[in-house]
Amino acid sequence: MSSAQLPANLSTETVREISESRDEPEWLLDARLDALDALESLDLPDVIQTPGRRWTNLEALDFESLVDPLDQADETERTSDEGVEVLTFTEALEEHPDLVESAFGSTIDPQENYLTALSAALFTTGTVVYVPEGVDAEDVTIRAEMNSRSLFSHTLVVTEKSSSVTILESIESGAEVDADARYFSNLVEIDAGENSYVQYGSLQDLEEDTYTYSLKRADVGTYATVNWIEGNLGSRLTRSDVESELNGDSAETKIVGAFFGHGGQHFDVNARVWHEAENTTADLVTRGVLDDQARSVYEGVQDVGRDAWNTSSYQRENTLMLSDESEADASPKLIIHNHDTEASHSATVGQVDQEDLFYMVSRSIPDQQARNMLVEGFFVPVLEEIEVDEFREDLEELIAARLR
Amino acid sequence: MSSEQDHLKETDTEARFDFKKEETSAFQTEKGLTEETVRVISEDKDEPEWMLNRRLRALEQFQEMPMPTDWPGQPDLSEVDIAEIVPYIRPDVDVRAGVDDWTELPDEIKDTFDKLGIPEAEKNALSGVGAQYESEVVYQNMQERWEEKGVIFMNMDEAVQKHPDIVREHFMTKCVPPSDNKFAALHGAVWSGGSFVYVPEDVTVEMPVQAYFRMNSEGMGQFEHTLIVAEDGAEVHYIEGCSAPKYSAFNLHSGGVEVFVGEDAHVQYSTVQNWSKNTYNLNTKRALVEAGGRMEWISGSMGSKATMLYPSTVLKGPGASDNHITIAFAGEGQNIDTGAKVYHNAPNTKSTIESKSISKDGGRTNYRGLVHIADGAEDSSTSVECDALMFDNESTSDTMPYMEINESKVDVAHEATVGKIGDEDVFYLQSRGLDDDDAKQMIVSGFIEPITEELPIEYAVELNRLVELEMEGSLG
Repeated sequence: MSSAQLPANLSTETVREISESRDEPEWLLDARLDALDALESLDLPDVIQTPGRRWTNLEALDFESLVDPLDQADETERTSDEGVEVLTFTEALEEHPDLVESAFGSTIDPQENYLTALSAALFTTGTVVYVPEGVDAEDVTIRAEMNSRSLFSHTLVVTEKSSSVTILESIESGAEVDADARYFSNLVEIDAGENSYVQYGSLQDLEEDTYTYSLKRADVGTYATVNWIEGNLGSRLTRSDVESELNGDSAETKIVGAFFGHGGQHFDVNARVWHEAENTTADLVTRGVLDDQARSVYEGVQDVGRDAWNTSSYQRENTLMLSDESEADASPKLIIHNHDTEASHSATVGQVDQEDLFYMVSRSIPDQQARNMLVEGFFVPVLEEIEVDEFREDLEELIAARLR
Repeated sequence: MSSEQDHLKETDTEARFDFKKEETSAFQTEKGLTEETVRVISEDKDEPEWMLNRRLRALEQFQEMPMPTDWPGQPDLSEVDIAEIVPYIRPDVDVRAGVDDWTELPDEIKDTFDKLGIPEAEKNALSGVGAQYESEVVYQNMQERWEEKGVIFMNMDEAVQKHPDIVREHFMTKCVPPSDNKFAALHGAVWSGGSFVYVPEDVTVEMPVQAYFRMNSEGMGQFEHTLIVAEDGAEVHYIEGCSAPKYSAFNLHSGGVEVFVGEDAHVQYSTVQNWSKNTYNLNTKRALVEAGGRMEWISGSMGSKATMLYPSTVLKGPGASDNHITIAFAGEGQNIDTGAKVYHNAPNTKSTIESKSISKDGGRTNYRGLVHIADGAEDSSTSVECDALMFDNESTSDTMPYMEINESKVDVAHEATVGKIGDEDVFYLQSRGLDDDDAKQMIVSGFIEPITEELPIEYAVELNRLVELEMEGSLG
């Protein structure tokens, strides 16, 4: 028995209707139906528990009223660069049926948990980015607007040998929707081929009546690099998992996260990496700011497998608390099975440095402005990791807007 | 080094720890755990009604609670079957509360503690010694000059009889209630023996007080209870040592330690645990610290098949502080899951946790820690440092810290590193004429030095010697 309630009009017919209206192949309909069947036996994603506390209460999500499978609407602008194909999921099914079939579910098992299964059964939007061998693409953008009470999205990125791509994804709330709560689900699978390079930046700025579940996972091949940037500012409750499996020798990944919570926002932000091959490198950097009654939950996992010789793995997490009512929970985990490893993690929590503040105020910068400058400065190590100016500016603007 | 220290160093530690004695118990309960067993233990100890009632309530809680099975990466406890455990064995000693002269002990038991070097240590460096064999304390002594100042050091069973008011107030009430976890409940039901230490206001016990616990029988459980009450301004250092020979069946050790640190008082609690490698060590240790008080936990975890132990400190009053220093060594077939818990419940509280682990030959170590900073605990700070050293890729080393921060005006830092033994370091030492094993041993000794230097010399030497034996792979 699953602990979550099923959406009201969720049935085999609903799923068939979604699939048929999109003219989907048999295999995808089957995958959707299997996911639907599995819902009953699947659990919600794990959340951290310590004596007497559960860090995030996903059980509180009322799917029955949040999710309306047949009323999903989005407006998504996609831009592509030369030589790279950026298609809607439906277009891709027509133009690259084999590619989509082999990539779908290859890094995220649709039946991994209740929320992935729900997403696989119901998704109506998504993008497929296909980068052929040797192609370098810098400007791929996916700007989405959510125009319904609930929206399920599934994105696939496939890079062939020695190609590279930089993708910016953003999601915000669109037209007024007649609902007091919304649900957005976003699954992203990256299959990074040998010696390819992917930077995947994501910016979530949904209205604060939204509940967001996002799982992004990369299968990183030999000599390949996948760098993630995950910016979370919106939503009432955000559960975000960004994960890299370093499956090829000398694979690399960087997971950079930024969040800024205010009001009653709750961010459950997770960065995880599995070292499964030799000479792999990972760097996890997360910075977050909390104001008002906002709450953050962070889990970072560096898992070094038995055969992962000569691993380098680093993790840093820093949280800045601007208010006494906020709460920052963190659990940076190291799981090491191979001794030929250099691994470290660190985490800090604190407030704006009083000396810095005093120094700036003594230089006649007004108190509030000085504080804002220090908060903006706090995000610099994250902003520095972003290669695309446009994306960095977007994030900076959102941070600045929140400080105003 | 003085000749005494040399002597201690030369003592054959392996022979000291890994010998067995014929079982010569006078009385033992049936295997398994029933209300009848609990009543028998209580009756055999001639306990007051309230203690029996506490035991029975704990038994109920034990039966209600599930085994902990859902912790990420926890040791496998499937073998721990309470039905197979003998919870209580009274050795054949005439004097129930123990004797105060080693020579009065039956030869079997005296010989055991002689081999462990306890009487020797007492002569040299300690204010008092208690020694527990199976479930009962067999020897207890406190130097007169401390007794004159009102310091009490006696075995727990005796304390129930002689100091019922202090015990009734503190025993498994506010510090470690049986409801804390399944094994605390088990402990509450069948506890036996252990130490009671009471230090009155403003009294400083300058020399450490020591208790030694020895499990000799196969398939037994040892459940000693330690209660330390340090009144305001008092100061005491308590040392606990434990060992058991190896048998084929499993042993269970589920002790309970409660420490009350009064205002501006200071308690140091040091343990070197070397249970045999078939022992499940599932212990609960906690300290409550009042304003300005200071608690220090120093632990070396060498033995046991599986250990789940997270000494915890509740910093109740403003300015209270806590230090944790732990070292875990896991060899073949061992899973040492240990760490620290600190609750900052008042302003200006401070804690530091320094954890070192070594894993080798498929051994598994885990640092599992929790730092909780409550709303209102402003100007508190905590720093957690974990270092893991690994010898091979059959071994596993995990770090699972949890931090719950409800207050903004704090300074929280956590750092952990894992590394292999440095090839360059080994090479350097080899080039100076050391062989491979000696070089590695030297590096390990250097790695754990921050721990050993906090221990009294006897313990530091013992810890080093145990590490050496582990490194040679000669401890079974």
